[in-house]
Amino acid sequence: MCYNPQVSIPYAKEDIKVGRIRFYIALWAAKLAQGLLRLLGRKATYFSGKLALKICPDFLGRIGRPELLIGVTGTNGKTTVSNLLTDVLEGWGEDIVHNRYGSNIDAGAATSLIDAATLGGRCKKRIGVLEMDERSAGRILPRLKPDWLLITNLFRDSMRRNAHPEYIAALLEKYIPESTRLVLNADDIISSSIAPKNKRAYFGIDPLPIEPPERGNIVIDARLCPACGAKLEYLFRRYNHIGSVRCPACGLKSPEPDYRLVSVDGEGGMMTVLESNGWYDYKINNMAIYNIYNYLAVSALLREMGYQKAKIAEAFETLKIVESRFLREEINGKELTVIMAKGLNAVACTRSFDYVANQPGNKAVVLMLDDVFDEKESSENIAWLYDADFEFLNSPDIAQVVAVGVRCLDTRLRLLIAGVEEAKIIAVPEASNAAEAVDLSSPDKIYVLYELYRRDSAMRVRDELAERLKTI
Amino acid sequence: MKIEVLFPEAGNLFGDTANIKYLRLCLPEAEFVYTGFGDVPAFAEGGVDLIYSGPMTESKQEAAAAALLPYSGRIRELVEAGIHFLFTGNSLELLGHYIEAEDGGRISALGIADFYSRRFMDKRYNGFFLGASGDVEITGFNSRFSHSYPAAGVEGFASVKRGIGLNETCAFEGVRVNNCIGTYLLGPLLPLNPPFAARLLASLGAPDARPAFYDAAMEAYSKRLGEFRDRRLKLD
Repeated sequence: MCYNPQVSIPYAKEDIKVGRIRFYIALWAAKLAQGLLRLLGRKATYFSGKLALKICPDFLGRIGRPELLIGVTGTNGKTTVSNLLTDVLEGWGEDIVHNRYGSNIDAGAATSLIDAATLGGRCKKRIGVLEMDERSAGRILPRLKPDWLLITNLFRDSMRRNAHPEYIAALLEKYIPESTRLVLNADDIISSSIAPKNKRAYFGIDPLPIEPPERGNIVIDARLCPACGAKLEYLFRRYNHIGSVRCPACGLKSPEPDYRLVSVDGEGGMMTVLESNGWYDYKINNMAIYNIYNYLAVSALLREMGYQKAKIAEAFETLKIVESRFLREEINGKELTVIMAKGLNAVACTRSFDYVANQPGNKAVVLMLDDVFDEKESSENIAWLYDADFEFLNSPDIAQVVAVGVRCLDTRLRLLIAGVEEAKIIAVPEASNAAEAVDLSSPDKIYVLYELYRRDSAMRVRDELAERLKTI
Repeated sequence: MKIEVLFPEAGNLFGDTANIKYLRLCLPEAEFVYTGFGDVPAFAEGGVDLIYSGPMTESKQEAAAAALLPYSGRIRELVEAGIHFLFTGNSLELLGHYIEAEDGGRISALGIADFYSRRFMDKRYNGFFLGASGDVEITGFNSRFSHSYPAAGVEGFASVKRGIGLNETCAFEGVRVNNCIGTYLLGPLLPLNPPFAARLLASLGAPDARPAFYDAAMEAYSKRLGEFRDRRLKLD
């Protein structure tokens, strides 16, 4: 059963009719635009939604929404979690409205809902999984009122868009509807403290034997208690501010996870999750700790929605992190890995640096982290480079770091300040010269780390490296 | 040489730890003191050559103002005595008379320079900056929810060539009182501006200290200068 187009924001009586007419004009114009874009072979990722919102600013409050709507937000992991969740639900035969191929701002959500709507504005799908940009919370959450909202974590992100995590947490706090049930990361004291009156469940990961020793991080966004401002004590710190904390002054502490990952079998690719009524094993295909969080978050949400452990475990047997974000292959005895690292986002890059640093063997690293949009129109605020732990790349087993792109001189300076030997650093302004700059003679493993919107360019570098590797 | 970093647990929002990291590389013999909330500042006793504070969240900025207010007389003495201060990002606002919050409430500040600040939490200003501090060209980044409004006669840190200053119409960026510098520019100000770093080191009494990785820093600086001077490039 789907909801009918509804007005969720109160209006004066005389405005209701006008608002409804405006809504239908917006819907039909957007559907027409969507059809035309498809005829022209163009991707309809957000244009039709943008058009609808331009005509009818409260469009999201009026368009029919699915019977069950799940929102996924947070700084890191929201795309992966949304994709995994959509894959599981679709695998179970559910007809889903999602924005996996579109934008995660209000226009993207609108575009997906327009696509799923009848000409009368009724939603044709039963379940919706919408990835939501946390900065757009105010424009999405009060109107769509998701039944479930999963918040992966909150870290500092692009300062231009997100200012700082305290600001984003306050935005979410302000706009999360009271009726929305939350699934939160117990190991993140910032996001787990949001909207305390809402019904909620927590997921978290115990300290694991497979984890490398704690590394110092530049960015720890929760050093002070969010309640009283005293210095927080970390009982353990996995990375950045992810871990378990307590406040010695006011007693605030990390919540107990309802879904507690107690062990991981790295070789078998399994995670064991403990609930109040026992534990269960789930298969996972990626052992990077941030991806283990993503799998755990998905399993926790599905359990909260009432799905049986065995059913979820069966779905996880074939569940995979989408390859565009993580692609590994072996060529001529050497390993070539391409990882999406998300430029302007120091924590996401640090996770990738940490992952690379923890892999055994001699390595070469290619960094393609410059912001695509800044490169086209302007310069880039590179302050974030100094929040990312480039220090992790200062390791004897990293033989070479190739800094690629228009900001390669800034990246080179950052690497020098991180202690990387000058002789190991190559600055390459043009991506077309990146592959040939890599010395393939000594490394066993080559990593290409790329910014989200630089995938095509990164894949060309990957292709060239693969060709070279075939001939050595 | 002793360098005091105020509120390191909060004043590190936008890559600003780079300034201290860079100073450590430039001045390997220097002593660095980190003063958190609740600690007695080292400058209260004296013997500190440079006091640094970086950008914070709005709530931490208010806590920092409250923590420093009891020392406002001492800070004024140090400023008058020519001790160096470098307050970056919204730490600059601690040097003014007050910060006006959105609800009209005022957060008292140190009153070292004759200006006040006003927050606009629904309007974030982001942009690049190109200016001149004496004969040194300064490049930098802005990202803030507030502007500052100086009285007549206030000396700025740098004249504006591109971007904005203390507010959208002000001809200068930041404030300067003797060797006390406050600037909205945030992030890795020193590694980004090796000529300014060199001048600061000389002023601190280390004329022979060369900014770390000087050649690499100058190459990156020169490229950025070229970009910021290029009128075809959008800088805000």
